[in-house]
Amino acid sequence: MKVSVKWLKEFVEFDHSAEELAHLLTMSGVEVSKIERLDSGLDKVVVGKIVNLRPHPKADKLVLCDVDVGGKTVQIICGAPNAREGLIAPVALVGARLPAGMEIKPVRLRGEYSHGMLCSEKELGFSEDASGLMELPTNLEVGTPLPQALGVDDVVFELDLTPNRPDCLSIFGVAREVSAILGNPLRLPEISMSESDTEASSVTSVKISDPDLCPRYAARIIRGVKIAPSPTWLQQRLEAIGLHGINNVVDVTNYVLMELGHPLHAFDYHKLAENRIIVRRAFVGEEIVTIDEESRSLTDDMLVIADAEKAVALAGVMGGFDSEVTENTTDVLLESAYFNPISIRKTSRALGMHTEASHRFERGTDIEGLITSLNRAAQLIQEIAGGEICKGIVDAYPVKFKPVKIHLRPERVNFLLGTNIKRAEMKDILTRLKFEVSDDTCGEGVLEVTAPTFQPEIVREVDLIEEIARIWGYDNIPTVLPTGDIPLVKEDIKIALRERTKSVMLGCGLTEAVNPSFYSPRAFDAINLPEDSPYRKALVLQKPLSEEQSIMRTTLIPSLLGNVQWNVNHQVPDVKLFELARIFNPKESELPDEREMLAGVISGSMSSGLWNDKTREVDFFDIKGIVENLFEEFGLVEYEVKPVDHPTLHPNKSAQIRMDGEILGIMGEVHPNVLDNYDISQKVYLFELDFDKLAEYYSNLLRESPDVAKHFQPLSQFPSVFRDLAIVLPEDVPSEEAKRIIQKTGGEIIASLKLFDVYTGQPVPEGKKSLAYSIEYNSKSGTLTEDSVDVIHQKIISQLAKNLNAELRS
Amino acid sequence: MQEKLKLIEKEAIEELKSVENLEQLEPIRIKYFGRRGRLAEVMRGISQLSKEERPIIGKLANEVRERLNQEFEQVTVRLKQKEREDSLAEETIDITLPGRCPQLGRKHPITQTFDRICEIFGGMGFSIVEGPEIETDYYNFEALNTPPHHPARDMHDTFYISDNILLRTHTSPMQIRFMEQHSLPIRIIVPGKVYRRDADITHSPMFHQVEGLLVDKKVTFSELKGVLTVFARRMFGEKTALRFRPSFFPFTEPSAEVDISCIICGGKGCRTCSQTGWLEILGAGSVDPEVFKAVGYDPEEVTGFAFGMGVDRIAMLRYGINDIRLLFTNDMRFLRQF
Repeated sequence: MKVSVKWLKEFVEFDHSAEELAHLLTMSGVEVSKIERLDSGLDKVVVGKIVNLRPHPKADKLVLCDVDVGGKTVQIICGAPNAREGLIAPVALVGARLPAGMEIKPVRLRGEYSHGMLCSEKELGFSEDASGLMELPTNLEVGTPLPQALGVDDVVFELDLTPNRPDCLSIFGVAREVSAILGNPLRLPEISMSESDTEASSVTSVKISDPDLCPRYAARIIRGVKIAPSPTWLQQRLEAIGLHGINNVVDVTNYVLMELGHPLHAFDYHKLAENRIIVRRAFVGEEIVTIDEESRSLTDDMLVIADAEKAVALAGVMGGFDSEVTENTTDVLLESAYFNPISIRKTSRALGMHTEASHRFERGTDIEGLITSLNRAAQLIQEIAGGEICKGIVDAYPVKFKPVKIHLRPERVNFLLGTNIKRAEMKDILTRLKFEVSDDTCGEGVLEVTAPTFQPEIVREVDLIEEIARIWGYDNIPTVLPTGDIPLVKEDIKIALRERTKSVMLGCGLTEAVNPSFYSPRAFDAINLPEDSPYRKALVLQKPLSEEQSIMRTTLIPSLLGNVQWNVNHQVPDVKLFELARIFNPKESELPDEREMLAGVISGSMSSGLWNDKTREVDFFDIKGIVENLFEEFGLVEYEVKPVDHPTLHPNKSAQIRMDGEILGIMGEVHPNVLDNYDISQKVYLFELDFDKLAEYYSNLLRESPDVAKHFQPLSQFPSVFRDLAIVLPEDVPSEEAKRIIQKTGGEIIASLKLFDVYTGQPVPEGKKSLAYSIEYNSKSGTLTEDSVDVIHQKIISQLAKNLNAELRS
Repeated sequence: MQEKLKLIEKEAIEELKSVENLEQLEPIRIKYFGRRGRLAEVMRGISQLSKEERPIIGKLANEVRERLNQEFEQVTVRLKQKEREDSLAEETIDITLPGRCPQLGRKHPITQTFDRICEIFGGMGFSIVEGPEIETDYYNFEALNTPPHHPARDMHDTFYISDNILLRTHTSPMQIRFMEQHSLPIRIIVPGKVYRRDADITHSPMFHQVEGLLVDKKVTFSELKGVLTVFARRMFGEKTALRFRPSFFPFTEPSAEVDISCIICGGKGCRTCSQTGWLEILGAGSVDPEVFKAVGYDPEEVTGFAFGMGVDRIAMLRYGINDIRLLFTNDMRFLRQF
């Protein structure tokens, strides 16, 4: 909504600067988001007249003009094709700085002086037209500053109105607000007209079939109008706030809409069958061509204005093309009605039509004030387009508006706001806002308040409290800290766990990624999922912004692979990212299943790449190490790593992580086919874990303390014995087996077990590998003797030999 | 003998003076203290002395031995120290070479901003709770006093999954869910992802919010001002000025938009604040009675306030990020800056 300050001043007086006024409005809840000076860059631009014109002696395409700029004549060099004697055109005088930034200085061009510039519309920022000089009306007085001559000596506010402020959807409405803020009187536009003897009711009638959707419809008839372009002042007014002139009658309806906020419509009286109005629901399948020349197919919950035969307007949204006022129109039926806000909103939504009219009707218009608007428009049409106004108004008003009486308890106001506003001040504020306040009718100091009809939303005590607060000024409400009790809410274990998870990830060198929750269904193809993969059962957005963002994620993997692709393409080959976010799985019940997943990717080099750090490409064991670190942080030791057949991953360098037989997640090298799909030519490793399940297992470990899964193990008082153990065993035996046997055989006495070497090749026979362990033996009950360690160590060796066919490496 | 002892002492001290390292010291030590050293030689000669001389010379010999011992000790300490100093002097490195640092990851700037916000409100007794990102129309709109066909729905352009299921457009549904499950007093914040059909340099279809709710028996609008003032000063600096101005949200009344003095220009006016000197950072208000009715609270008995803020915008302001899309591209060059 745009508001011209000049226009505003017709209704309320103020001395404040535009900036001050904007601030006051903003602080009372009518946000001024932009202040635009229509005359910016037009300082020192005046109306000029070319009084003499002669060719430039040294330039074919230029002419020398003597230009009367009011009181004096200056020579200006000009190259415009339409420069001619007698032309009235804008002149930028020396010292002017035009909207595009050009500064006008006296110049000498091939020996001739130019003291200023004759301007095109483009040079003044009015339009893109640079074909020639802007031609001004001949009746303008030479020498007048251009802004004044064109009526653009004005400031326009752009208002950012919240939906609860339909009362400010007009110049008068904003003036009313200014008047309430400043306490300055409000001037209503003067309305006076002369009516003819013909009764309007004798030439037309209004019938409302659906009073629930249209409680009031008022019409006036104006006969014998002469359709023509609007006068300059009216066009200027409309243009200042961004509207364009059509013809005088239509312009008046728009003008009154902007002035008073009530949408009006003018019909060509003779194009209404039987010259009468029926307000009814549309028939199923009924069609209407609206003013924008679009054919609209209607349903029976849409309200139309019809004549005796057909729909002639889409009520409250847009008029009909066939009944619109054209240059041949002589008689006009002027409509001013009130329509049900919800009905208008449904219709405008269903048809995708958002108009100045629907915008206001769906926010609620002034059912009592619509006559004022009707009269104002009739008066202006008569003034501008001539004609005679038929006597009286045809006013169908089957459902009378009943104002709500609201009880306001002054102590409640102060209780809710934390203020100390006096009752009299509350009364004063409400009165300034045009509320009716009657005193002492309900006793105990309670005020009985009736909201003005232009404030249909104000029906409750709390609504009044807000009105008082905003005029009183939020700045004047004290600032204090709450004194109430602090409640104890049971902490969600996941929040703390998430924090620790992130610490582990960061410590492992992974940087946190945040990806959109949606992607394209093609993401599943990219990660090689088969057609029947459960991951493909994703939630689909009804109206996505694009196919790229059309389904909700069921796995984080495609997002992170996309991130790797982006980085590699931007010359960042070392990518280490993790993401902790929700995925969404459709469910039978109302809401889908939201699970939190933790995923990570690593690619490129593992080292810092610095002089003192050996460069090494990441591999499977880097990604596995990250997962192990995480499980260790949570004290989860009983997990298993098993081979997995996952379409996204390398068939032999991938694993699933299981706990009690349940799958917690996967990890491994990304399948080269998948990398091809992402155009990535370096190896990528990833993992994805079900963080919710992880959290669940963690919760099961918790004992007495609310968030402690780990228990202190006393440190041994006795020295350890360290022994190395190198064995040779068949290559296909998983090292995990050897570890299991060592630990099982050694039992508690093994304090730590470290696999420090894995080797194949000479001298280890083919088909065999060598594993070398460092074992720390320790007893918490006494110092171990070499002999007792020997016994256990030998036992381990023989168990390994027996179970895994392992022999000591010689 | 006496002269001999004195001579030994004198010569030894003289010899020690010229010793430059521990290697040179050892032969001298042997020369005087060795089994066949000069002192031993004297000691051996004592037995041939007269009874009267023996104790005198014996005593003198011991004294000389003791003094020389001390001398040797001092020289040893001095030489050891010198040796260490020499070796330290040789061990030079270029200390300006880069250090060996394991690459740590970085938290996303949005997370860092979330963390700070939660920390500040945590200090004021607010607990963190979370809710579903996919919501019903009821929790996202209706229970928050936004019936179907209310113009306020235009404020949120919504992604729908079905007629009734949508991606939450704000974290406010958790107000309802939490109040349904809990009794007074209530003091929560709700961080999380939210979604709106909007995409440009300042809008992302997915973004982040923190909702706040404080409900009790005597909560006033002035307390809302207090809590948010403390928050803004902690978050943006002690000198931050705040401005509360009337606004509209269907689920609060009175409602406020909260501006802070521009953290870039300090309020003088710049591009970031569109020359206004103010930055809009959050919406707030007293809980609307209709919301209390929706959760079965008596609005005459219970009052409260709620607030909500966009975390992405705050993160962008904190770090001077000019394009919201950078937040979700996950470019390592971007993420590693924070």
